[in-house]
Amino acid sequence: MQRVKRNLVLLISSLLLLLIWQVGSMMLDSQILLPGIPPVAQALRTLIAQPPFAHNLLSTALRALQSFLIIVISATVVGVLAGRFEYLSIALRPFVTTLKAIPVMSIILLAFIWFSSGTVPLFSAFLMGFPVMYVQIEMGVRQLDRNLDQMCTLYEFRPSDKLLHFIIPSMTSWFIAGSRTALSMVWKVVIAAEVLTVPRYGVGARMQLAQVQLQTDLVLSWTLIAVMLTALGDLLFDALVHLVAYLKRKIDARGVPCSS
Amino acid sequence: MQFLEISKRYEQNVVFDHFSLDIPAQTILSVVGPSGEGKTTLLQMAAGLLEPDAGIIRKEASEEGSVSYLFQESRLLGSSTVYANVELALRRSHSSETQRRQITLHYLAMVGLSESLTLYPAQLSGGMRQRVAIARAFAHPANLMLLDEPFQSLDIKLKFSLVDAFLRLWEEQPRTTLFVTHDPKEALMLGDAVCCLGDPKKPLWYQQIDIPRNARNITDAKMLAWEATLVRTLVNA
Repeated sequence: MQRVKRNLVLLISSLLLLLIWQVGSMMLDSQILLPGIPPVAQALRTLIAQPPFAHNLLSTALRALQSFLIIVISATVVGVLAGRFEYLSIALRPFVTTLKAIPVMSIILLAFIWFSSGTVPLFSAFLMGFPVMYVQIEMGVRQLDRNLDQMCTLYEFRPSDKLLHFIIPSMTSWFIAGSRTALSMVWKVVIAAEVLTVPRYGVGARMQLAQVQLQTDLVLSWTLIAVMLTALGDLLFDALVHLVAYLKRKIDARGVPCSS
Repeated sequence: MQFLEISKRYEQNVVFDHFSLDIPAQTILSVVGPSGEGKTTLLQMAAGLLEPDAGIIRKEASEEGSVSYLFQESRLLGSSTVYANVELALRRSHSSETQRRQITLHYLAMVGLSESLTLYPAQLSGGMRQRVAIARAFAHPANLMLLDEPFQSLDIKLKFSLVDAFLRLWEEQPRTTLFVTHDPKEALMLGDAVCCLGDPKKPLWYQQIDIPRNARNITDAKMLAWEATLVRTLVNA
Protein backbone atom coordinates (compact mmCIF):
# COMPACT_ATOMS: atom_id res chain seq x y z
CA MET A 1 0.00 0.00 0.00
CA GLN A 2 2.84 2.31 0.95
CA ARG A 3 4.49 1.55 -2.38
CA VAL A 4 1.34 2.31 -4.36
CA LYS A 5 1.00 5.62 -2.52
CA ARG A 6 4.60 6.50 -3.22
CA ASN A 7 4.27 5.70 -6.93
CA LEU A 8 1.08 7.72 -7.08
CA VAL A 9 2.81 10.77 -5.57
CA LEU A 10 5.65 10.29 -8.05
CA LEU A 11 3.22 10.09 -10.97
CA ILE A 12 1.28 13.16 -9.85
CA SER A 13 4.44 15.24 -9.43
CA SER A 14 5.70 14.14 -12.87
CA LEU A 15 2.38 15.12 -14.44
CA LEU A 16 2.57 18.44 -12.60
CA LEU A 17 5.99 19.07 -14.13
CA LEU A 18 4.61 18.41 -17.61
CA LEU A 19 1.64 20.64 -16.84
CA ILE A 20 3.89 23.53 -15.75
CA TRP A 21 5.85 23.10 -18.98
CA GLN A 22 2.70 23.11 -21.13
CA VAL A 23 1.10 26.04 -19.31
CA GLY A 24 4.38 28.00 -19.48
CA SER A 25 4.59 27.35 -23.20
CA MET A 26 0.97 28.46 -23.73
CA MET A 27 1.52 31.63 -21.71
CA LEU A 28 4.73 32.56 -23.52
CA ASP A 29 3.16 31.57 -26.83
CA SER A 30 6.51 31.36 -28.61
CA GLN A 31 7.99 28.25 -30.27
CA ILE A 32 11.47 29.73 -29.89
CA LEU A 33 11.27 30.57 -26.19
CA LEU A 34 9.43 27.46 -24.99
CA PRO A 35 7.72 25.06 -27.37
CA GLY A 36 4.87 22.97 -25.94
CA ILE A 37 4.82 19.25 -25.37
CA PRO A 38 3.27 18.18 -28.73
CA PRO A 39 5.87 19.90 -31.00
CA VAL A 40 8.72 18.58 -28.82
CA ALA A 41 7.25 15.07 -28.96
CA GLN A 42 7.00 15.41 -32.75
CA ALA A 43 10.61 16.64 -32.98
CA LEU A 44 11.70 13.74 -30.77
CA ARG A 45 9.97 11.21 -33.03
CA THR A 46 11.61 12.70 -36.15
CA LEU A 47 14.97 12.78 -34.39
CA ILE A 48 14.82 9.13 -33.40
CA ALA A 49 13.83 8.08 -36.92
CA GLN A 50 16.86 9.77 -38.51
CA PRO A 51 19.92 7.53 -39.11
CA PRO A 52 22.63 9.55 -37.26
CA PHE A 53 20.57 9.39 -34.05
CA ALA A 54 22.03 6.07 -32.88
CA HIS A 55 25.52 7.24 -33.79
CA ASN A 56 25.14 10.43 -31.74
CA LEU A 57 23.70 8.51 -28.83
CA LEU A 58 26.35 5.80 -28.89
CA SER A 59 29.20 8.30 -29.17
CA THR A 60 28.03 10.10 -26.04
CA ALA A 61 27.30 6.87 -24.18
CA LEU A 62 30.69 5.46 -25.14
CA ARG A 63 32.50 8.60 -23.96
CA ALA A 64 30.60 8.53 -20.67
CA LEU A 65 31.25 4.82 -20.18
CA GLN A 66 34.93 5.18 -21.00
CA SER A 67 35.47 8.04 -18.56
CA PHE A 68 33.38 6.26 -15.94
CA LEU A 69 35.50 3.13 -16.16
CA ILE A 70 38.73 5.13 -16.07
CA ILE A 71 37.43 7.00 -12.98
CA VAL A 72 36.34 3.81 -11.20
CA ILE A 73 39.62 2.01 -11.76
CA SER A 74 42.00 4.91 -11.11
CA ALA A 75 40.07 6.38 -8.14
CA THR A 76 39.82 2.95 -6.53
CA VAL A 77 43.55 2.29 -6.83
CA VAL A 78 44.61 5.78 -5.72
CA GLY A 79 41.89 5.94 -3.02
CA VAL A 80 42.96 2.63 -1.49
CA LEU A 81 46.61 3.73 -1.48
CA ALA A 82 45.74 7.12 0.03
CA GLY A 83 43.58 5.43 2.66
CA ARG A 84 46.49 3.19 3.62
CA PHE A 85 49.29 5.75 3.44
CA GLU A 86 48.53 9.02 5.15
CA TYR A 87 51.38 10.94 3.51
CA LEU A 88 50.05 10.11 0.05
CA SER A 89 46.63 11.37 1.13
CA ILE A 90 48.19 14.63 2.38
CA ALA A 91 50.23 14.99 -0.83
CA LEU A 92 47.09 14.52 -2.95
CA ARG A 93 44.97 16.95 -0.93
CA PRO A 94 45.84 20.13 -2.94
CA PHE A 95 45.06 18.35 -6.23
CA VAL A 96 41.75 17.01 -4.98
CA THR A 97 40.71 20.32 -3.39
CA THR A 98 41.56 22.21 -6.60
CA LEU A 99 39.68 19.71 -8.75
CA LYS A 100 36.66 19.91 -6.49
CA ALA A 101 36.60 23.71 -6.54
CA ILE A 102 37.41 24.40 -10.19
CA PRO A 103 34.36 25.24 -12.40
CA VAL A 104 33.44 22.62 -14.99
CA MET A 105 33.57 25.17 -17.78
CA SER A 106 37.16 26.16 -16.95
CA ILE A 107 38.26 22.56 -17.25
CA ILE A 108 36.40 22.08 -20.52
CA LEU A 109 37.78 25.29 -22.03
CA LEU A 110 41.33 24.49 -20.96
CA ALA A 111 41.01 20.93 -22.20
CA PHE A 112 39.78 22.24 -25.54
CA ILE A 113 43.00 24.21 -25.88
CA TRP A 114 45.07 21.13 -25.15
CA PHE A 115 43.19 18.27 -26.84
CA SER A 116 41.08 17.40 -29.88
CA SER A 117 37.29 17.75 -29.55
CA GLY A 118 36.69 14.00 -29.09
CA THR A 119 39.08 13.76 -26.13
CA VAL A 120 37.83 16.85 -24.27
CA PRO A 121 34.61 15.23 -22.88
CA LEU A 122 36.62 12.22 -21.71
CA PHE A 123 39.29 14.28 -20.03
CA SER A 124 36.88 16.78 -18.43
CA ALA A 125 34.59 14.05 -17.13
CA PHE A 126 37.57 12.25 -15.66
CA LEU A 127 38.82 15.36 -13.85
CA MET A 128 35.37 16.12 -12.46
CA GLY A 129 34.40 12.58 -11.48
CA PHE A 130 37.72 11.37 -10.11
CA PRO A 131 37.73 13.41 -6.85
CA VAL A 132 34.17 12.32 -5.99
CA MET A 133 35.00 8.63 -6.27
CA TYR A 134 38.48 9.01 -4.76
CA VAL A 135 37.14 10.72 -1.62
CA GLN A 136 34.62 7.93 -1.05
CA ILE A 137 37.16 5.13 -1.49
CA GLU A 138 39.72 6.84 0.74
CA MET A 139 37.06 7.32 3.41
CA GLY A 140 36.00 3.69 3.06
CA VAL A 141 39.54 2.48 3.71
CA ARG A 142 39.91 4.80 6.69
CA GLN A 143 36.59 3.70 8.15
CA LEU A 144 37.42 -0.01 8.02
CA ASP A 145 36.36 -1.50 11.35
CA ARG A 146 39.54 -1.80 13.46
CA ASN A 147 37.81 -4.31 15.75
CA LEU A 148 37.04 -6.63 12.87
CA ASP A 149 40.55 -6.17 11.56
CA GLN A 150 41.88 -7.27 14.95
CA MET A 151 39.49 -10.23 14.93
CA CYS A 152 40.81 -11.33 11.52
CA THR A 153 44.37 -11.19 12.88
CA LEU A 154 43.57 -13.12 16.07
CA TYR A 155 41.62 -15.80 14.22
CA GLU A 156 44.42 -16.04 11.67
CA PHE A 157 42.39 -15.30 8.55
CA ARG A 158 44.26 -15.97 5.33
CA PRO A 159 44.98 -12.68 3.47
CA SER A 160 42.71 -13.71 0.58
CA ASP A 161 39.85 -14.51 3.00
CA LYS A 162 40.34 -11.22 4.81
CA LEU A 163 40.17 -9.36 1.49
CA LEU A 164 37.12 -11.25 0.24
CA HIS A 165 35.10 -11.47 3.43
CA PHE A 166 36.08 -8.34 5.34
CA ILE A 167 37.73 -5.63 3.24
CA ILE A 168 35.73 -5.84 0.00
CA PRO A 169 32.30 -6.13 1.72
CA SER A 170 33.19 -3.23 4.03
CA MET A 171 34.17 -1.10 1.04
CA THR A 172 31.15 -1.95 -1.08
CA SER A 173 28.80 0.76 0.19
CA TRP A 174 31.49 3.43 -0.24
CA PHE A 175 32.31 2.10 -3.71
CA ILE A 176 28.64 2.13 -4.75
CA ALA A 177 28.04 5.63 -3.35
CA GLY A 178 31.17 6.97 -5.09
CA SER A 179 30.53 5.36 -8.44
CA ARG A 180 26.85 6.32 -8.47
CA THR A 181 27.70 10.01 -7.91
CA ALA A 182 30.57 9.83 -10.40
CA LEU A 183 28.30 8.26 -13.02
CA SER A 184 25.63 10.96 -12.86
CA MET A 185 28.35 13.62 -12.94
CA VAL A 186 30.02 12.02 -15.95
CA TRP A 187 26.87 12.28 -18.12
CA LYS A 188 26.47 15.98 -17.36
CA VAL A 189 30.13 16.85 -17.97
CA VAL A 190 30.42 14.79 -21.15
CA ILE A 191 27.35 16.48 -22.67
CA ALA A 192 28.49 19.94 -21.52
CA ALA A 193 31.92 19.32 -23.07
CA GLU A 194 30.27 18.17 -26.31
CA VAL A 195 28.21 21.38 -26.38
CA LEU A 196 31.35 23.49 -26.17
CA THR A 197 33.64 21.45 -28.41
CA VAL A 198 31.07 20.19 -30.93
CA PRO A 199 32.60 16.85 -31.94
CA ARG A 200 31.25 15.23 -35.12
CA TYR A 201 28.88 12.96 -33.21
CA GLY A 202 27.41 13.41 -29.76
CA VAL A 203 24.22 14.45 -27.97
CA GLY A 204 25.81 17.70 -26.78
CA ALA A 205 27.05 18.58 -30.27
CA ARG A 206 23.53 18.12 -31.71
CA MET A 207 22.13 20.22 -28.90
CA GLN A 208 24.55 23.02 -29.72
CA LEU A 209 23.74 22.91 -33.45
CA ALA A 210 20.00 23.01 -32.71
CA GLN A 211 20.51 25.98 -30.38
CA VAL A 212 22.49 27.91 -33.03
CA GLN A 213 19.62 27.37 -35.46
CA LEU A 214 17.11 28.43 -32.76
CA GLN A 215 15.38 25.02 -32.95
CA THR A 216 14.28 25.02 -29.33
CA ASP A 217 12.07 21.95 -29.84
CA LEU A 218 15.20 20.03 -30.93
CA VAL A 219 17.22 21.37 -27.99
CA LEU A 220 14.49 20.15 -25.66
CA SER A 221 14.30 16.79 -27.47
CA TRP A 222 18.03 16.23 -27.05
CA THR A 223 17.71 17.34 -23.43
CA LEU A 224 15.01 14.73 -22.90
CA ILE A 225 17.29 12.14 -24.47
CA ALA A 226 20.11 13.20 -22.14
CA VAL A 227 17.79 12.87 -19.14
CA MET A 228 16.73 9.42 -20.31
CA LEU A 229 20.36 8.38 -20.88
CA THR A 230 21.23 9.40 -17.31
CA ALA A 231 18.17 7.63 -15.93
CA LEU A 232 18.97 4.51 -17.95
CA GLY A 233 22.57 4.60 -16.72
CA ASP A 234 21.37 4.84 -13.09
CA LEU A 235 18.88 2.04 -13.69
CA LEU A 236 21.52 -0.24 -15.22
CA PHE A 237 23.87 0.55 -12.38
CA ASP A 238 21.24 -0.30 -9.76
CA ALA A 239 20.37 -3.49 -11.64
CA LEU A 240 24.05 -4.45 -11.65
CA VAL A 241 24.32 -3.81 -7.89
CA HIS A 242 21.25 -5.95 -7.25
CA LEU A 243 22.53 -8.69 -9.51
CA VAL A 244 25.89 -8.80 -7.72
CA ALA A 245 24.15 -8.87 -4.30
CA TYR A 246 21.85 -11.66 -5.52
CA LEU A 247 24.76 -13.70 -6.89
CA LYS A 248 26.67 -13.25 -3.65
CA ARG A 249 23.73 -14.56 -1.62
CA LYS A 250 23.47 -17.55 -3.98
CA ILE A 251 27.17 -18.30 -3.66
CA ASP A 252 26.97 -17.90 0.15
CA ALA A 253 24.05 -20.30 0.35
CA ARG A 254 25.89 -22.81 -1.82
CA GLY A 255 28.83 -22.67 0.60
CA VAL A 256 26.65 -23.71 3.54
CA PRO A 257 26.16 -27.46 3.91
CA CYS A 258 23.06 -29.15 5.29
CA SER A 259 23.31 -29.38 9.07
CA SER A 260 21.82 -32.89 9.16
CA MET B 1 50.60 -19.57 31.76
CA GLN B 2 52.62 -17.24 33.95
CA PHE B 3 53.00 -13.49 34.04
CA LEU B 4 56.40 -12.99 35.61
CA GLU B 5 57.37 -9.60 37.01
CA ILE B 6 55.58 -7.74 34.22
CA SER B 7 55.45 -3.97 34.07
CA LYS B 8 53.27 -1.86 31.81
CA ARG B 9 52.55 1.84 31.80
CA TYR B 10 50.62 4.24 29.59
CA GLU B 11 52.54 7.53 29.89
CA GLN B 12 52.19 8.45 33.59
CA ASN B 13 49.64 5.74 34.34
CA VAL B 14 51.34 2.68 35.81
CA VAL B 15 49.05 -0.31 35.19
CA PHE B 16 51.43 -3.13 36.18
CA ASP B 17 54.61 -2.86 38.20
CA HIS B 18 56.52 -6.13 38.60
CA PHE B 19 53.21 -7.94 38.68
CA SER B 20 53.13 -11.76 38.75
CA LEU B 21 50.23 -14.12 38.17
CA ASP B 22 50.03 -17.86 37.64
CA ILE B 23 47.25 -19.55 35.66
CA PRO B 24 47.44 -23.36 35.79
CA ALA B 25 47.00 -25.03 32.38
CA GLN B 26 43.45 -25.90 31.35
CA THR B 27 41.81 -23.85 34.09
CA ILE B 28 39.71 -20.70 34.04
CA LEU B 29 40.98 -17.64 35.85
CA SER B 30 38.31 -14.99 36.39
CA VAL B 31 39.75 -11.49 36.43
CA VAL B 32 37.72 -8.70 38.01
CA GLY B 33 38.67 -5.16 38.87
CA PRO B 34 37.67 -1.53 38.54
CA SER B 35 37.79 0.07 35.08
CA GLY B 36 41.21 1.18 33.92
CA GLU B 37 43.10 -1.20 36.20
CA GLY B 38 44.55 -3.33 33.41
CA LYS B 39 42.06 -6.13 32.78
CA THR B 40 42.02 -5.67 29.02
CA THR B 41 45.75 -4.91 29.03
CA LEU B 42 46.34 -8.27 30.69
CA LEU B 43 44.31 -10.04 27.99
CA GLN B 44 46.03 -8.16 25.19
CA MET B 45 49.44 -9.06 26.57
CA ALA B 46 48.36 -12.71 26.81
CA ALA B 47 47.19 -12.54 23.18
CA GLY B 48 50.46 -10.97 22.05
CA LEU B 49 48.69 -7.81 20.90
CA LEU B 50 50.62 -5.78 23.49
CA GLU B 51 54.16 -6.23 24.74
CA PRO B 52 54.92 -5.66 28.44
CA ASP B 53 57.50 -2.92 29.10
CA ALA B 54 59.36 -5.38 31.32
CA GLY B 55 58.96 -8.93 32.57
CA ILE B 56 58.01 -12.05 30.66
CA ILE B 57 54.90 -14.03 29.85
CA ARG B 58 55.65 -17.73 29.96
CA LYS B 59 53.32 -20.15 28.27
CA GLU B 60 53.37 -23.92 28.50
CA ALA B 61 53.91 -25.88 25.31
CA SER B 62 50.21 -26.73 25.22
CA GLU B 63 49.31 -23.02 25.34
CA GLU B 64 51.59 -21.89 22.52
CA GLY B 65 50.28 -20.89 19.12
CA SER B 66 47.11 -19.11 18.29
CA VAL B 67 44.54 -17.77 20.73
CA SER B 68 40.78 -17.57 20.72
CA TYR B 69 39.44 -14.22 21.79
CA LEU B 70 35.85 -13.63 22.78
CA PHE B 71 35.10 -9.93 22.75
CA GLN B 72 32.45 -7.78 24.40
CA GLU B 73 30.82 -7.43 20.98
CA SER B 74 30.38 -10.44 18.76
CA ARG B 75 32.66 -9.05 16.01
CA LEU B 76 31.08 -11.05 13.21
CA LEU B 77 31.53 -10.36 9.51
CA GLY B 78 28.28 -8.71 8.45
CA SER B 79 28.28 -9.97 4.89
CA SER B 80 29.14 -13.58 5.75
CA THR B 81 26.68 -16.23 6.86
CA VAL B 82 26.68 -17.75 10.34
CA TYR B 83 28.38 -20.83 8.88
CA ALA B 84 31.08 -18.82 7.08
CA ASN B 85 31.80 -16.72 10.17
CA VAL B 86 32.89 -19.86 12.01
CA GLU B 87 34.40 -21.74 9.09
CA LEU B 88 36.69 -18.85 8.09
CA ALA B 89 38.50 -19.11 11.43
CA LEU B 90 39.51 -22.68 10.52
CA ARG B 91 40.84 -22.17 7.02
CA ARG B 92 44.47 -21.68 7.94
CA SER B 93 44.62 -24.61 10.33
CA HIS B 94 42.50 -27.15 8.42
CA SER B 95 43.12 -27.59 4.71
CA SER B 96 40.48 -30.28 4.36
CA GLU B 97 37.08 -28.82 3.60
CA THR B 98 35.31 -31.90 4.99
CA GLN B 99 37.11 -31.48 8.29
CA ARG B 100 36.27 -27.78 8.45
CA ARG B 101 32.63 -28.54 7.72
CA GLN B 102 32.46 -31.17 10.47
CA ILE B 103 34.04 -28.91 13.06
CA THR B 104 31.92 -25.90 12.13
CA LEU B 105 28.68 -27.86 12.19
CA HIS B 106 29.61 -29.49 15.49
CA TYR B 107 30.24 -26.23 17.32
CA LEU B 108 27.26 -24.45 15.80
CA ALA B 109 25.09 -27.39 16.88
CA MET B 110 26.56 -27.15 20.40
CA VAL B 111 25.39 -23.55 20.68
CA GLY B 112 22.01 -24.39 19.17
CA LEU B 113 22.40 -22.67 15.82
CA SER B 114 22.09 -25.61 13.42
CA GLU B 115 18.97 -24.08 11.93
CA SER B 116 20.53 -20.68 11.35
CA LEU B 117 23.51 -21.55 9.17
CA THR B 118 22.47 -19.48 6.16
CA LEU B 119 21.46 -16.39 8.14
CA TYR B 120 23.52 -13.21 8.24
CA PRO B 121 24.44 -11.46 11.52
CA ALA B 122 21.90 -8.68 10.92
CA GLN B 123 19.17 -11.33 10.91
CA LEU B 124 20.19 -12.60 14.37
CA SER B 125 19.39 -11.38 17.87
CA GLY B 126 22.21 -10.12 20.10
CA GLY B 127 22.31 -13.39 22.01
CA MET B 128 22.46 -15.46 18.82
CA ARG B 129 25.29 -13.34 17.50
CA GLN B 130 27.26 -13.90 20.70
CA ARG B 131 26.60 -17.64 20.40
CA VAL B 132 28.14 -17.59 16.91
CA ALA B 133 31.14 -15.83 18.42
CA ILE B 134 31.39 -18.52 21.12
CA ALA B 135 31.21 -21.28 18.48
CA ARG B 136 33.94 -19.52 16.49
CA ALA B 137 36.16 -19.16 19.56
CA PHE B 138 35.91 -22.88 20.32
CA ALA B 139 36.15 -24.06 16.73
CA HIS B 140 39.38 -22.12 16.29
CA PRO B 141 42.19 -24.49 17.22
CA ALA B 142 43.71 -22.49 20.08
CA ASN B 143 44.86 -23.69 23.46
CA LEU B 144 44.54 -20.32 25.08
CA MET B 145 41.19 -18.63 25.40
CA LEU B 146 40.70 -14.98 26.30
CA LEU B 147 37.30 -13.62 27.22
CA ASP B 148 36.79 -9.87 27.48
CA GLU B 149 33.41 -9.41 29.20
CA PRO B 150 31.56 -11.41 26.55
CA PHE B 151 28.35 -11.71 28.60
CA GLN B 152 28.11 -8.04 29.47
CA SER B 153 24.99 -6.04 28.61
CA LEU B 154 22.80 -9.11 28.15
CA ASP B 155 19.68 -9.85 30.13
CA ILE B 156 20.02 -12.40 32.92
CA LYS B 157 18.22 -15.23 31.10
CA LEU B 158 20.32 -14.80 27.99
CA LYS B 159 23.46 -14.50 30.09
CA PHE B 160 22.76 -17.84 31.77
CA SER B 161 22.06 -19.58 28.49
CA LEU B 162 25.31 -18.23 27.01
CA VAL B 163 27.33 -19.13 30.10
CA ASP B 164 25.80 -22.59 29.89
CA ALA B 165 26.72 -22.89 26.20
CA PHE B 166 30.22 -21.70 26.99
CA LEU B 167 30.72 -24.18 29.84
CA ARG B 168 29.38 -27.10 27.79
CA LEU B 169 31.96 -26.38 25.12
CA TRP B 170 34.71 -25.73 27.62
CA GLU B 171 34.13 -28.98 29.53
CA GLU B 172 34.30 -30.85 26.21
CA GLN B 173 37.76 -29.45 25.55
CA PRO B 174 39.25 -27.52 28.50
CA ARG B 175 41.71 -24.78 27.59
CA THR B 176 43.63 -22.31 29.68
CA THR B 177 41.21 -19.39 29.95
CA LEU B 178 41.44 -15.81 31.15
CA PHE B 179 37.96 -14.49 31.79
CA VAL B 180 37.58 -10.76 32.36
CA THR B 181 34.31 -9.64 33.89
CA HIS B 182 32.72 -6.90 35.95
CA ASP B 183 30.24 -9.26 37.55
CA PRO B 184 31.42 -10.91 40.83
CA LYS B 185 28.77 -13.66 40.54
CA GLU B 186 29.86 -14.55 37.02
CA ALA B 187 33.49 -14.59 38.13
CA LEU B 188 32.77 -16.98 41.01
CA MET B 189 30.51 -19.29 39.00
CA LEU B 190 32.92 -19.74 36.10
CA GLY B 191 36.46 -19.45 37.46
CA ASP B 192 38.70 -22.12 38.95
CA ALA B 193 40.24 -19.11 40.65
CA VAL B 194 39.30 -15.45 40.92
CA CYS B 195 41.77 -12.59 40.81
CA CYS B 196 40.91 -8.99 41.60
CA LEU B 197 43.11 -6.31 40.03
CA GLY B 198 43.52 -2.81 41.41
CA ASP B 199 47.11 -2.68 42.67
CA PRO B 200 49.84 -2.53 39.99
CA LYS B 201 52.17 -4.70 42.10
CA LYS B 202 49.97 -7.65 43.08
CA PRO B 203 46.38 -8.92 42.92
CA LEU B 204 44.17 -7.26 45.53
CA TRP B 205 42.47 -10.57 46.11
CA TYR B 206 43.15 -14.06 44.79
CA GLN B 207 40.95 -17.01 45.64
CA GLN B 208 40.92 -20.62 44.49
CA ILE B 209 37.33 -21.81 44.05
CA ASP B 210 37.51 -25.36 45.35
CA ILE B 211 33.87 -26.25 44.71
CA PRO B 212 33.35 -28.29 41.49
CA ARG B 213 31.85 -26.06 38.83
CA ASN B 214 28.65 -28.08 38.45
CA ALA B 215 28.09 -28.13 42.22
CA ARG B 216 28.32 -24.37 42.65
CA ASN B 217 25.33 -22.49 43.87
CA ILE B 218 25.42 -18.74 44.30
CA THR B 219 23.23 -19.01 47.42
CA ASP B 220 25.72 -21.37 49.06
CA ALA B 221 27.21 -19.82 52.24
CA LYS B 222 30.81 -20.17 51.06
CA MET B 223 30.05 -18.62 47.69
CA LEU B 224 28.13 -15.79 49.35
CA ALA B 225 31.08 -15.10 51.65
CA TRP B 226 33.49 -14.98 48.69
CA GLU B 227 31.12 -12.71 46.81
CA ALA B 228 30.89 -10.36 49.80
CA THR B 229 34.69 -10.24 50.11
CA LEU B 230 35.08 -9.63 46.39
CA VAL B 231 32.49 -6.85 46.36
CA ARG B 232 34.17 -5.26 49.40
CA THR B 233 37.57 -5.45 47.68
CA LEU B 234 36.14 -3.88 44.54
CA VAL B 235 34.44 -1.09 46.45
CA ASN B 236 37.61 -0.29 48.39
CA ALA B 237 39.90 -0.55 45.36
